[in-house]
Amino acid sequence: MQRRKFLSFGAVAVAAMMPSSLSATDYRKTKPDTWTSHTVDDSIKKLYGTGKLIEEGVTLKTPDVAANGGAIPVDISSNIAAKSVALFQDANPESTVAVWTVPENGIIDYSLKIKMKASGTMTVVVEGLDGKLYVANKTLQVALGGCEG
Amino acid sequence: MKLKAKAKNGIVKAKVMMKHDMITYDQAKKKGVKPNFITYVTASVDGKIVYEVSTSQFLSKNPILKYKFRGEKGKKITMTWKDLLGNTKSSTKKIK
Repeated sequence: MQRRKFLSFGAVAVAAMMPSSLSATDYRKTKPDTWTSHTVDDSIKKLYGTGKLIEEGVTLKTPDVAANGGAIPVDISSNIAAKSVALFQDANPESTVAVWTVPENGIIDYSLKIKMKASGTMTVVVEGLDGKLYVANKTLQVALGGCEG
Repeated sequence: MKLKAKAKNGIVKAKVMMKHDMITYDQAKKKGVKPNFITYVTASVDGKIVYEVSTSQFLSKNPILKYKFRGEKGKKITMTWKDLLGNTKSSTKKIK
């Protein structure tokens, strides 16, 4: 029931905010500030303009202990109808790792490998078509940091 | 760039390995080289974007990306990446 309310409200907000999810968006050009932010909260605010997060509907899978900080596997999946997905962590000097644009009717099931300097927390934010931000966190140990050469 | 895409029941699973050093700002300072990393990756089928990501220096060296999208067998998938220095590379493969 509640979700239904969200959707009707969100449709208006989305229409006002972004024209279409079909066109390509390079977040490095449109949101340059996000990439230089040093905290996760800051990055989320700079990317989406709000820090209000709902903790549900997103799955973030990483190992609990990563042996090699140079390549930590990360799996992100969600069933939310979304516009974009963003991955952050708090161990490296800057916090934003990647921002995906979800194409229309797209499936959120992304895997990649990232670098982390030390143990920390990863945060994934899914921006729903209803304009709400859904979030998942995962804290992990990194045995050997991977950011120094 | 190694690219693989396989269709099953209307869902394509794609996997790509991009050969790139992904030198972060910190590493660049230590080694005295220019920082350079992949910043933007797209995949398209029939001119329509099916995957798109803006990335930072914190992807692993030679990053591997996996993803799923709705698509069919026999079509061609094209992936392109762009790095900080402006180099681009693209690769096209048939969806199996």
